[in-house]
Amino acid sequence: MNLEYQPKVVGFLCNWCSYVGADMAGTSRISYAPNIRILRVPCSGRVNPMLLLKCFQQGADGVLVSGCHPGDCHYNEGNYHARRSLALLRDFLDYLGIAKERLRVEWVSASEGQRFAEIVSNFTTELTKLGPRSES
Amino acid sequence: MKLFIFKEEVIRWLDQLLRERILVAPVQVQGSTLFQPVSKVEEIAFDFGNTTLSPKGWFLPSTEVLFSVQSNDGQPKLVPATVEKDAVIFGMRPCDARGIALLDAPLLREPGDTLYQERRARTSIIGLSCRHVQPECFCTSVGSAPNDPNHVDILLTEIENGYLVQVITEKGKALLPEALAESEETLPPPLEPQAVPVKEVTLAIRELFNNPYWERLADRCLHCNICAYVCPTCYCFDVRDYSNKGNLERVRSWDSCQAPGFSQIAGGYDLRTTKGARLRQRFYHKLLYFPEQFGAVACVGCGRCVKSCPVNIDIREVMSDLQQLEAKSGC
Amino acid sequence: MDSELIHQIRNQACDLLESGTVKGVIGYERASDGLTARPVFAYEPAAVERLVFDETCTHNLVKYLLDKKAEKMAVVVKPCDSRTINLLLNEKQIKRETVFIIGVTCPGVVETSWNYKGQTLQARCQTCQFSKPLVYDFLAEHEPVERPKGELYLNIQEMETKPIMVRRNFWLEQFEHCVRCYACRQVCPGCYCPQCFVEQLDPLWVGIRIAPKENELWQIMRAFHLAGRCIGCDECQRVCPVDIPLSLLNRKLEKEVKELFDFQAGLNPEGQPPLATFKKEEELGFEE
Repeated sequence: MNLEYQPKVVGFLCNWCSYVGADMAGTSRISYAPNIRILRVPCSGRVNPMLLLKCFQQGADGVLVSGCHPGDCHYNEGNYHARRSLALLRDFLDYLGIAKERLRVEWVSASEGQRFAEIVSNFTTELTKLGPRSES
Repeated sequence: MKLFIFKEEVIRWLDQLLRERILVAPVQVQGSTLFQPVSKVEEIAFDFGNTTLSPKGWFLPSTEVLFSVQSNDGQPKLVPATVEKDAVIFGMRPCDARGIALLDAPLLREPGDTLYQERRARTSIIGLSCRHVQPECFCTSVGSAPNDPNHVDILLTEIENGYLVQVITEKGKALLPEALAESEETLPPPLEPQAVPVKEVTLAIRELFNNPYWERLADRCLHCNICAYVCPTCYCFDVRDYSNKGNLERVRSWDSCQAPGFSQIAGGYDLRTTKGARLRQRFYHKLLYFPEQFGAVACVGCGRCVKSCPVNIDIREVMSDLQQLEAKSGC
Repeated sequence: MDSELIHQIRNQACDLLESGTVKGVIGYERASDGLTARPVFAYEPAAVERLVFDETCTHNLVKYLLDKKAEKMAVVVKPCDSRTINLLLNEKQIKRETVFIIGVTCPGVVETSWNYKGQTLQARCQTCQFSKPLVYDFLAEHEPVERPKGELYLNIQEMETKPIMVRRNFWLEQFEHCVRCYACRQVCPGCYCPQCFVEQLDPLWVGIRIAPKENELWQIMRAFHLAGRCIGCDECQRVCPVDIPLSLLNRKLEKEVKELFDFQAGLNPEGQPPLATFKKEEELGFEE
């Protein structure tokens, strides 16, 4: 049994691009770090900063928000708003003691299954190095 | 001859009490002094005017779990809250002690608030007479005094080198260290806080319910919760049930009649939508409803609301205004 | 106390009330300690004698306009307060024609609390860029006064250089002190939601429990809801009964908004606030 620290990761994936991308990683049988728990949202722009903060409070060591590439949002502008809001939030959370490396924002399209897998595995490795959130 | 205890002995005594009980005392926290349980006597702030929040928070905490229901694998188990240890509060001013006694009236009458009741029974109060009158104090106008020995178990009065000790109750006697010295010192003469006309306020306020005074006064009120939270005699609270993974907790927290939506009921109706109505409610509760039910004005003259109100709504000014308004209307 | 300034304010207020141009004048009067100021609402010409203006006039009176939308009111504003007017105009919360703005050139205000008047200017005044209100209908002028030109965001930068765990523990301790009196929200002109998120039952973001996690959510999200909107009057910090350094929170976001979006709240009654708009191409740290 692996007794090493395993980070808990929560992912908010937009329904139209990123979630499909993640699904594609699955159907392509691509392995990636299993620590992530995925929540499907209509758009990355819908992700309320309060939700992210609650994730950290409830024990998440890292949170990934993934949406369509800027310019390709299914709702035209949602991801632009997410980009602004989450940029501010990431700096603010870092100031409050939640390291900015723990909030990852990525743009993954429906065909980028391999890339999604790489992102998650890479994120999980980074988080393992950072250690549990309650201690850093 | 009066009982006397040296300052160093007080430290030893409190240290002894700390071993068997929770010791709650004034502690310096950033810019304020607050009553908090201490783990070492060194944490206590002995020299202070009065605390920002009143000690009512020990008996009626700002938030507590009343009971929880644990899912227990399908066999729900009710777990009531318990009071773990006996406690002693050190350094309570006479006005605040009167405040606790006033809270007893609504909270201990049948059927009685069980948690408040238990904490009341298991907490001893070591009072501390005031050496200075603060500019906001007016305790003598509302039934208390800087050296009032009522409502505490022991009253300490600071003099040179230590404290004169008045044992007020059997509970207090049981707290004392073995042999106390005696002193020929007499109690210092009583301090005289500012006098505020209060005598006629209950009669006056009864006639002024529809007076435009309330909306005018409320113009500057922010309707935050500060006055109710710092007050030794405000006791409104809200109760909600919260569940988490099948376990339920019933939580009680302080609330204030000033908060917008405080009196909103199921269906959305709110009987105090205007600022004036809400502000009026607080003064009516304190100066009319409470005295009518329990025989005393629900104010102990500690002045905390005066000190902490961000927009200077001053209860002394209000009481004076009300009596003048009533006098002018020629009744 | 500048008596010339006060006469100007009183005369203007009297004119407005006598002519019936406004229903009331929101200004400052002497508080019950005889030392500091408190808000006053003058509805009759005789009441203008109570109006004062001095270095204890810290309150942001613009908040009260939100309670008086049905009537035309006059309000006394300092330069910082005038930015609030621009904010509320921008967010369509007040109509320009229902406000008569009595602007005051402000030499800065000192730390005050009941019966206490500090000697030094408040931190926000030491870094204030404006000696004159940005919008007004009448300007009560004071002789120009030398104000210290403090450097913006020094204390924010100091906090930023501390190790992350030191910051974490600092804020955790601060949020533990919070008693959820909501004075910060009630005094803030930017907080005017008919139902605050903290009072929402569904979704239940916070709840009534007064405990570190809930307090943390409350404090962080209120600050975040003011990102790009807070004009830095620091009134929230003044009214906090347990001395939480709210300015350290709000100014951090103010700094970030300035750096990321080159935007400052309250300078312009028109235009789009940064979180209501976007640029198709912009580098905010999430590049591919």
